[in-house]
Amino acid sequence: MKKQKLPELFVVAAVLLVIFVILPILLTFASTSATNLFETLIDPEVARSIGLTFLAAGIASALGVLMGLPLAYILARRDFRGKGLIEGLIDLPLIIPHTAAGIALLMVFGRQGVLGKLVRPLGLFFVDTLAGVVVGMLFVSIPLLVNAARDAFKAVDSDLEQSARVDGASAWKVFLTITLPLAWRGVVSGVITMWARGISEFGAVAILAYSPKIVPVLIYEKFQGFGLKAATPIAAILLVIVVLVFFVLRSLAGAIDD
Amino acid sequence: MINKMKTTNKLFALLCLCLAIFGAVSACVAKPKSTIVVFAAGSLMQPFKEIEKAFEAKYPQYDLRMEYHGSIQVMRHVTDLHEPIDIVATADQALIPMLMYATNDPATGKPYANWYASMATNKLAIAYQAKSKYADEITAENWWQILSRPDVRVGLSDPRFDAVGYRQLMVFALAQALYGNDQIFNDFLEGQFTRPINLVDLGDMLIIRIPEILETTGSAHLVMRGSSIALNALLEAGEIDYAFEYESVIKQQGFEMLNLPAELNLGDEAHEANYRRVTVKLDFRRFASVEPVFNGELIRYGLTIPESSPNPEGAARFFAFFYGEDGQKIMADNHHPLIRPIEGDHLELMPDALKGLTGD
Repeated sequence: MKKQKLPELFVVAAVLLVIFVILPILLTFASTSATNLFETLIDPEVARSIGLTFLAAGIASALGVLMGLPLAYILARRDFRGKGLIEGLIDLPLIIPHTAAGIALLMVFGRQGVLGKLVRPLGLFFVDTLAGVVVGMLFVSIPLLVNAARDAFKAVDSDLEQSARVDGASAWKVFLTITLPLAWRGVVSGVITMWARGISEFGAVAILAYSPKIVPVLIYEKFQGFGLKAATPIAAILLVIVVLVFFVLRSLAGAIDD
Repeated sequence: MINKMKTTNKLFALLCLCLAIFGAVSACVAKPKSTIVVFAAGSLMQPFKEIEKAFEAKYPQYDLRMEYHGSIQVMRHVTDLHEPIDIVATADQALIPMLMYATNDPATGKPYANWYASMATNKLAIAYQAKSKYADEITAENWWQILSRPDVRVGLSDPRFDAVGYRQLMVFALAQALYGNDQIFNDFLEGQFTRPINLVDLGDMLIIRIPEILETTGSAHLVMRGSSIALNALLEAGEIDYAFEYESVIKQQGFEMLNLPAELNLGDEAHEANYRRVTVKLDFRRFASVEPVFNGELIRYGLTIPESSPNPEGAARFFAFFYGEDGQKIMADNHHPLIRPIEGDHLELMPDALKGLTGD
């Protein structure tokens, strides 16, 4: 590739930005002693919290696939009145403060909430339960999946789908055998982003389900109640695991694509 | 095409410039105000918000920055996090000598405080709503049975962080002698936490031990939050049926209130000797240098100006306003009257500017 000339200032700005992102993460590790890190690793409270966080984000992402892909596909393939409005609404969870999202969710999923009341007889509760954690994560991260999947579906040539239909394939079959495999990379990247966003959520989950404590809540509580020494090792461990999982998932997605 | 791009670029640059100028201008135009940082117990939130408004209206040159936490957390922000704080108001005055007298500010080598004012009293009570489960059944005699029912959701605040947290446990321990039943404490808490809160009942001495990790179990009917005021919203939303709160807070919020017997509410001077039988201990190192022990005693709020206050003049101004006519009225209107004339510990060490206030 020929080297193109770039504005010099861009390089300066880019370097500053990279430092801005990397420095706090590096310091999180630097300020954690090895013994402290080890003690935290074998702390059952931390292990349980990490497991819970990953599980809840996983369930949220699975629900996101089931509920989000149909909407993403419709938005990619159909033009209808109010489509712009729906696209805007779906993005709302990204914009509103997540504490506000938590309160809104409490009003819907609380024991006295619209949906909470309905499912109460089934023994399904959301405040301070795994279900509440999942709902909080799902709400704030679903736009990421819908947007990524919609763009991926859009990039699939609809003529291809059309000719498959002409050959007699059902709409369902076309989606599963043509569209989804071709849009695979974008969809998977959307799922991974959604999952990661779920793991990092604090505000909405803390209001709806403070306990069982996911890692962001645990870090907050440890910082508030016991100080930096108690909070940083957990943050460091979560960082390592997330980076590892992210890396593995991304390269798996890449491998499938190749 | 190229023309269009240029226009967009220009617009973008203009936008950035506008934002930068807007930020810079608003930073410069805003008159520099003298900041007073107040860290207060959550149960003081409502009256202190009114005081903030009234104070800033009277003294526009000051900017009050209020922060509310559980009372133990308020202390931690001073003695462990070394934050610059001008006024400390806690729901348990005993925390001030226990933590602030006993800890030296590394910057000056002096203790964080050496006096405090006993600002107000309070009583512990149970907040609920008309729609709470068994609301028509609960009385000052049977509340402990109702609160132990597995289908009743009870809000607790965390005894590791908040004064209501350890005080509500004291109530259950003291209730055993009053009702002649030594299972009251266990009936309420058994199976509710992943690690148990234990009570050693020696008759004339009751010792409650709090484990380091305090998390409710999946099937618990108790709901715990970091401070008692965090339970208000849950009670309002119908998420919990009952919560332990201070009388002043229950009245401010307009909840239904179940008054606890004077032997238990930690607010009746005649029973203080009885309250003193109970002690709450933390089974772990909570603070950098001090092992805190919470003793049962009359509820008294404490107020002090930390040695490390970056704005002692502002703090004195606030203190004078608080104990002046406006402050007294706001507190009284919020069902939380100030103790007058000022009482406290080592009041002779108060800043000179405040000494005239003590006698009235």
